[in-house]
Amino acid sequence: MSLGARLRHLAAYRLAGRAALALNRRREERAADRRPVDPTRALTPPLRSSARMRQMMSEHYLEGRHASGVRPVAWVTSGAPAEILKALDFFIIYPENHAALCGARRHAQALCEAAEDAGYSRDICSYARTDIGTALTGNTPVGRLPPPDLLLCCTNICQTVLYWYRVLADHYGCPLVLVDTPFQYRETPLEHEVAYVRRQLEEIVPVAEKVAGRRFSEERFTEVVAEAKAASELWLEILERARHRPAPLTAFDAFTHLGPIVDMRGDAETTGYYRSMLAEIDRRIADGVGAVREERHRVLWDNLPIWYRIGSLSRWLAERGVNVVASTYTHAWGELAPLMDPSDTFGSMARVYMHPILNRSAGQKLDAMRRMVGEFEADGVILHSDRSCKPYSLGQIDQRDGLVNQVGVPALLLDADHNDPRAYAEEQAAGRLEAFVEMMAR
Amino acid sequence: MHRVVAAIAATQTNLRPAAFFDENGSGMSVTAQLPNRREILTEVRRSGYRPVAVLPYHYPRALLRAHGFHPVELWGPPDVPRDEGSRHFQPYTCDIVVRATSFLLRGGLDGVDALLVPHTCDALQGMGSVVGDFGPVAPPVLTLYLPRGERPADREFLVAELRRLAAALEEIGGRTPSVVDWDEAFGAEDAADRALAGLYDRRAGLAATDREFYTVVRAREYLTAEAFSALAGSVPEGEPPGGVPVMLSGIVPEPMTLFDHLAKMGARVVADDLACGGRRRYDPPAGGDPFERTADRILSGPPDPTRGAPIAARAARLVEQMEKTGARGLLIYDVKFCEPELFDVPLLRSRLVEEGFGVLHVEVEMGTELPQQTLTRIEAFVETLQ
Repeated sequence: MSLGARLRHLAAYRLAGRAALALNRRREERAADRRPVDPTRALTPPLRSSARMRQMMSEHYLEGRHASGVRPVAWVTSGAPAEILKALDFFIIYPENHAALCGARRHAQALCEAAEDAGYSRDICSYARTDIGTALTGNTPVGRLPPPDLLLCCTNICQTVLYWYRVLADHYGCPLVLVDTPFQYRETPLEHEVAYVRRQLEEIVPVAEKVAGRRFSEERFTEVVAEAKAASELWLEILERARHRPAPLTAFDAFTHLGPIVDMRGDAETTGYYRSMLAEIDRRIADGVGAVREERHRVLWDNLPIWYRIGSLSRWLAERGVNVVASTYTHAWGELAPLMDPSDTFGSMARVYMHPILNRSAGQKLDAMRRMVGEFEADGVILHSDRSCKPYSLGQIDQRDGLVNQVGVPALLLDADHNDPRAYAEEQAAGRLEAFVEMMAR
Repeated sequence: MHRVVAAIAATQTNLRPAAFFDENGSGMSVTAQLPNRREILTEVRRSGYRPVAVLPYHYPRALLRAHGFHPVELWGPPDVPRDEGSRHFQPYTCDIVVRATSFLLRGGLDGVDALLVPHTCDALQGMGSVVGDFGPVAPPVLTLYLPRGERPADREFLVAELRRLAAALEEIGGRTPSVVDWDEAFGAEDAADRALAGLYDRRAGLAATDREFYTVVRAREYLTAEAFSALAGSVPEGEPPGGVPVMLSGIVPEPMTLFDHLAKMGARVVADDLACGGRRRYDPPAGGDPFERTADRILSGPPDPTRGAPIAARAARLVEQMEKTGARGLLIYDVKFCEPELFDVPLLRSRLVEEGFGVLHVEVEMGTELPQQTLTRIEAFVETLQ
């Protein structure tokens, strides 16, 4: 740890940066409080918590700019067991979250093109292309990403992450730790699968200790797991509040408020944030405020969001009385909470990290959607056929047929890509969505 | 020179090819009379084995055999339209998955006792999941999760996973292998593995065109171990056709007319890193627990992106193979949408160019013929190597 780096971290992040971001948040909140309610808008005003979420995410990336040389830096996949690294005080970057941020801020295409210029095919995941573009050019809307001292890759969301992290390992020349999670073709993991994942989780520790230069504390780890569990439970509660009619939030709100549970799971501040968000949502319910002013149709979303169209799609649907009340994607970070057990950290984590919806079979995903349609009283399902995310998308044709024929709800397969706007045909999508809304109205 | 006459006398010798390469003074030509997969299915059943259709590409051959199963691999096939498969998979799904699904739905392998889908990539994961859960195909679907590393934990897991697969095979076939069954299965399959490795080792001294050579290599996808060993052993020694030496990388060289085009362009394939070829040059261990032995065989293959090998290790092997065989350039020949291959391309290219090798990457959609645009690119590449 260099003194210069520590001083920069102290001055630019801890003192000036955090103070400026806190001030900005108060300004945003005051502006939101003063903004008159516009009854002609299809969407009610955004959650006040959004300002705090933006502050937290900005602080996170601001610290990242100054983290090198002060804290060990790990880059991890979104489904990775980051709690182990948190217990060793790693500063953690989630390249997928960074890519999504680039997508939402319309920076992704240029970064994808930079990766393509270097030879990466347009047919590979656009998150990967976005982040490889950042690695190659240094361009990012967050200013700077700290290079990793350690890469942690968990295959519970796809195999793509392993191909991608092999490229990062080569580029940055740092250790790559793999947690390989056998795909769950069956409902319940088998004992040899659990044992395999558990052993790999335990084997993270010595590598991470060496990189961090400190000893792993079981006690601290248990605290982090307990905190992650608490935050995940709150997140699930928030999402479940959308069962209420009218739903106090949309899945698009959930997409944007997902950042802390992905990036800062295990921090007390994250738990506090979701607690206050839940309170705000409960106030909305008590006041009879719905996220969509005239909620006529309730819809379930499957797959990742279309990051570069979140705002416009949300408004377009709301104008037609459609509230996307839930998504299989955002639930993935909540439904793991009941499996977490701070008294059996490694054992329960082995099961938790094999359980994400992306690591389960197409039939189990259809069952999950069927259940969610019932619980959220959804009138239809939009399945985002995501060119970039094959493991999430393969199976959707049969799932759509199952929803239409077995559940009896309209289901639309919407062709797009989560981060690459070149794969989204605006007019074609609008036409298909119009037809879908009409079907629900019948 | 030699004329290839690979004929099967299955009814007489339990799927052993009767004659392979005959002397003929009329020049080198191929009359590949190998049986097709459907004929093999019939003969396998007649000889008391249960046929199992297998998707690419690492799987336990001896374990299947010991349980009374014979694998017939599915790599598309390229001449089957995507239509039926497209009713289950989006257009951005790789051809192997979509066409294999079409093929199965068209009854291409009716009569197999099971379908084995190794977890090779996300696309095959999707196929195993869809055909297993939504049942568009009739036979029971078996899966095999292949670990993405070679750590002790990976090996231990693979051993347990193989035991699980064995239990599923026992359930379908009703046969628990005896020690004799295991010994017989390892004896035959290890010999076939050695025969495949031997083919590669002897390649520079084999009087076979690339098309002939890969017809023989790929016969391992469906012939019995004995038939394959005999076929591989029958490739005559002699001077191979000339041409600019190149190495071929990718999943599968379909359509096989690729080799005819390469020959016409003046190129000769002297080494490969193909999933259906060189990546299955296993080094089977001798003796020991059958499941551990089977796991070790799979883990003994060369660096492979689908098994999580570092890109640097893969690049180093390519360089070593190219130096050893005198290849001047690498043709990376990828099936479209194949992520495990596509991610490695830029770094492989950069390492090989640093070493002074030419590199060309093409992506192809499976079909019966290659598009002219692709052929033009390959031709230009071969010219630069000359």
